[in-house]
Amino acid sequence: MRKTASFAVTLALAVACRPTDACRGDACGTLVVAALGEPATLLPPVTDQQLARDVHDQLFLKLADVGMSANTVGDADFEPQLAQRWEWEDSLTLVFHLHADARWQDGRPVTAGDVAFTFTAYTDSQVASPARPALARIAGVTARDSLTAEFRFSQTFPEMFYTAVHHLRILPEHLLRDVPRGQWSTAEFGRAPVGNGPYRLVSWTPGVALTLAADTGFFLGRPHIARLVWRFQPDLAAAVNLVVAGEADAIEILVTPDNVQRARETPHLTLYPYPGLAYGYLGFNLRANGDPSRPHPLFGDREVRRALTMAVDRERMRASTLGDLAKVPPGPIVTLWPLWEPRPRELLHDTAAAARLLAERGWVDRDGDGVREKAGVPLAFGIMLPSTSGLRRQFARLLQEQLAAVGAKVAIDEVDGPVQGERAGAGRFDAYLGGWNVDPTPSTGIGGTWTSAAAGLANHVRYANPAFDDLVARATSGAGSPDSVRALWRHALEVFNDDAPAIVLFAMDNVAAVHARVADVRIRPDSHWALVRTWRIPADRMIERDRVAPAAN
Amino acid sequence: MPAAHWLALAVTLSAAWLTVAAIRRAALTTATGRTFFTSGTHGPARWGLLILATVAALALAAPLVAPYAPSAQLDIVALQNRPPSFAHPLGTDLYSRDVWSRLLFGARVSLAVGALGMGVAVTVGTAVGAVAGYWRGAVDAVLMRVVDVGLSVPRIFVLLVLAGLWERMPVGVLVLAIGLTSWFGTSRLVRAEVLAAREREFVQAARAVGAGTARIVVRHILPNAAAPIFVTAALGTGAVMLLESGLSFLGIGVAAPLPSWGNMIADARDSVRSAPWSVLAPGLAIGLVVTACAAVADGLRDALDPRRARRASEQLAPFPGSWDLSSPMRDPRPDTPRNRA
Amino acid sequence: MAAWLARRLLAALAILWTVATLTFVAIQAAPGDPFLPTAERPADPAVVATLRRQFGLDRPLPEQYARYLGALATGDLGMSFSQRRPVATAIAAALPHTLLLAAAALLLDYVIGIAIGLIQAATAGRRLDDALTVTTLMVASLPAFWVALVLLLVFGEWLRWLPVAGAYDPALYDALPLAGRIADRLRHLALPAATLGLLGAAATARYQRAALLEALGQEYVRTARAKGLDERRVLLRHAWRNALVPITALVGLALPFLLTGAVLVETVFAWPGMGRLAADAITLRDYPLVTGTALTASAVVVLGSLVADLLLRAADPRVRVHD
Repeated sequence: MRKTASFAVTLALAVACRPTDACRGDACGTLVVAALGEPATLLPPVTDQQLARDVHDQLFLKLADVGMSANTVGDADFEPQLAQRWEWEDSLTLVFHLHADARWQDGRPVTAGDVAFTFTAYTDSQVASPARPALARIAGVTARDSLTAEFRFSQTFPEMFYTAVHHLRILPEHLLRDVPRGQWSTAEFGRAPVGNGPYRLVSWTPGVALTLAADTGFFLGRPHIARLVWRFQPDLAAAVNLVVAGEADAIEILVTPDNVQRARETPHLTLYPYPGLAYGYLGFNLRANGDPSRPHPLFGDREVRRALTMAVDRERMRASTLGDLAKVPPGPIVTLWPLWEPRPRELLHDTAAAARLLAERGWVDRDGDGVREKAGVPLAFGIMLPSTSGLRRQFARLLQEQLAAVGAKVAIDEVDGPVQGERAGAGRFDAYLGGWNVDPTPSTGIGGTWTSAAAGLANHVRYANPAFDDLVARATSGAGSPDSVRALWRHALEVFNDDAPAIVLFAMDNVAAVHARVADVRIRPDSHWALVRTWRIPADRMIERDRVAPAAN
Repeated sequence: MPAAHWLALAVTLSAAWLTVAAIRRAALTTATGRTFFTSGTHGPARWGLLILATVAALALAAPLVAPYAPSAQLDIVALQNRPPSFAHPLGTDLYSRDVWSRLLFGARVSLAVGALGMGVAVTVGTAVGAVAGYWRGAVDAVLMRVVDVGLSVPRIFVLLVLAGLWERMPVGVLVLAIGLTSWFGTSRLVRAEVLAAREREFVQAARAVGAGTARIVVRHILPNAAAPIFVTAALGTGAVMLLESGLSFLGIGVAAPLPSWGNMIADARDSVRSAPWSVLAPGLAIGLVVTACAAVADGLRDALDPRRARRASEQLAPFPGSWDLSSPMRDPRPDTPRNRA
Repeated sequence: MAAWLARRLLAALAILWTVATLTFVAIQAAPGDPFLPTAERPADPAVVATLRRQFGLDRPLPEQYARYLGALATGDLGMSFSQRRPVATAIAAALPHTLLLAAAALLLDYVIGIAIGLIQAATAGRRLDDALTVTTLMVASLPAFWVALVLLLVFGEWLRWLPVAGAYDPALYDALPLAGRIADRLRHLALPAATLGLLGAAATARYQRAALLEALGQEYVRTARAKGLDERRVLLRHAWRNALVPITALVGLALPFLLTGAVLVETVFAWPGMGRLAADAITLRDYPLVTGTALTASAVVVLGSLVADLLLRAADPRVRVHD
């Protein structure tokens, strides 16, 4: 009797605890993304946070998008999005013809007027868009008729098309026209966006998750997966936990070999490797700590930088931290770029040569304390890094020990992000561990980071070599072909490596983990979730959360 | 681990145990000492003292006992996250450092931070409590309002904000910060003792023969508050160690490469799955020492002054971690006649 | 009574004002610019200047302070830099999670703690009592975040009994019927609440044991015994009732402990509460959010101690005499 009763209770509970099966058929499915953070706002021009861009990919289309090859020179490799086609009227005029079926999620058509409005918004200093500097070479955008938008450039350069389409996510003029530009950073629209993409925002619970639902009338074809949930989990290990435990379905980057191993041992996960878009380096401040007008007492000397580069064993550090997930790159480049070459050729690990070179330059340990000095100045410096990056912390600790072996004393400054930004901008550091991953092009990855024009902006170490600047300028202007552009970049890299303004430590390859029930998974290396609308969850593989109707939110 | 280190370990342990035995022998000749060593049924205070002495001795002898330098990365590829073995009794960590060696050197930092942080807190708390209790009036009112504010902000918030003030917080500042945010409860406690003592006959007598204020406070009143102060100090050392470990875990404690038990846990956090030993060892070490501190505090309470000191250790700080941290050390019966007396 | 309450409320306001002022000054003095991008991305000075102006950071500090206090008086906590939404909204989203965690932890703490305390008082001096004394002492001495890590590893990852993170499953929760929602909440609550609750229970047990033993030595208990009441009745009816008074008072005082523990435990379990919010706000130099969270936490503590005192006055008539 008692047994029956308890069984009945268990059964009742089991039934009462099940979700209401609301979604039937093929157009269901839920993909839960373990997201390493939370967007601040979903108004595209205001932010360039990685997380916000991931969600923007689902909400706001561009005119055209980078293809799987990630080639950014010319327009041949781009995929049409809002623009059905485009043509060059002359070398400085680019005309886009919009898709007539494109609609805002409130039903209004997407027009060329929206495109022109978007350009004025992105370039308005009041909006304070991080993308604004990148648009400087576009003279203006006008709407010729409701579906034809004209871009005029002020000069020709190899990445004209990329510049026109990559940064601009087209915005609804009718909803944003009346929002004062000075208030865009906190605009209500950023919390309740109305887009033109395959998904629309359903709910957003701060600190927990945001949910998108497929737009069934999407003009490029209805997305297969009905619901996307971004579950915020800023801690990498915890995010991997979620995916391994089956509480989330996808994570775009596993980072460490440990995590990859865990994912590999999890039967319900499938791994998807893809080329990486990040490199990490130890940048030497060429100017004195806190005083850019004087050379740095240590790193002002090119030979010291070269010696320190030889002092560290980049291959072993790579093996210790990232294993097969990274390569030691020949300069500040990532594996995704067509520039990629498999291995560095110069300044290879050689502690004896490093010690010799340091001694030649007058750095000798005279007092026997294990630290070299020259004219009373010890070979001691600090490495600055953001307190939030576990990977960089690991590299800093390894560098500290390796440099100690050649008589350099290294202190590690783990600082909060805002402090790092402030000190980097002011040049108030000796060396810093940087990482780079924003755009799929060397123009910003190399040009925007290491030329003297970027000194004090992204070129925090204030590296300046006219020969390097000249090569970069030639690679990013004129009507270069992909081959000639690549040759110029390669040459620039050689100059960079000779000068050793930074030890480039690793170029990462990425591995995403996605639940095995998800089919047709394709990951575009420069923007991992961009193709999610083509992924599928077959009806026979669906699990509990797949049956939740998007409307239930 | 080479034989020399095993030998050093044996010598160190023997020295610590012999010292405790000697102390015990001497203490058993006095009534207070006897109570201390026999309080509780099996004399937990005795075990606490033994643990503290052992850990302190190991910390002092760390360079002799530890087989490796604490920050030496032995082989960053081949010796990462190795499980315990004969060569590495507690395994190695993510950076191929020997966990046992780091634990020994970490004991120096953790114990020092605990003792110094507690020292600052108890000194400031005693001074403020004595001043407020003896002079009363406006001084008392102002000081106690400060204490009210101090007790109203969860301390971790204060320390997080303070840590933000430094780009890299030096260990000295960390100790000061912990100490200066931990005295509020102690001051209330001491104030209550001083309030009670200042009306007693011997103080009246001292005042009558014209003794100076400072002399009266230091010579006649504070000794009366000594029992709760000692108990608080014993509990406080453990509490500060717990706090330091928490702060290190949040990344604002003792900075690398100096090992502390707290930052050892923080460093190993991400490899907890592949190398659980690197998290377990320092955590258990903290637990052991904090338990020992609490046991010693229990013994002191019983030995020094059963009635008054019990109030300190049980009512005001029911457990080690709570010392000024969990329940602010305020009297749960603030206005009852008994405590007013 | 009314005068007493008025005095307490006035004191509370003074405390909150002090907290607001101190946090305001301290966080502004901290190095770091909330609007500078991290070193990886080019800092466009024009963008930074615009943002500073839009959030009012271009004004002199005294003016910012005056504006902040003025807004505070109307209940406006300002606009968060990092979340681009009102601070009050961000706190309103996080506070219930922390209070839920605290309430669950407190419940576990008291139920388990009092039970152990009673058992110990009943078996005082015997082997069980000793074993429990040592156990509670050791458990109470462990770092909360370490216990959290170990519980997470064992029950979340090795045994897979319980979820590893969060306060509920966002992909399912809204679609669940009420019973399902409660079950989902409880499953997520289990590990974080157990961490804080067990550590607290160890402390409460020690406290309860001492209070009971003290009560058992009192006059009225001896009288009760003399009247021939059996020992269990003496313990439960007479001693326990008395020993509960100070325990009740501790409820309010447990709040700072729970808030502090919450910062660490919320970090480990990705609990979307105040602790995480505050820690992130400080890291990101989100000035209004830092001040807002500090104010809220202090308000909770002050309120808690007020409630505790009220409870105490209700429980112990002697207190009222001394108003």
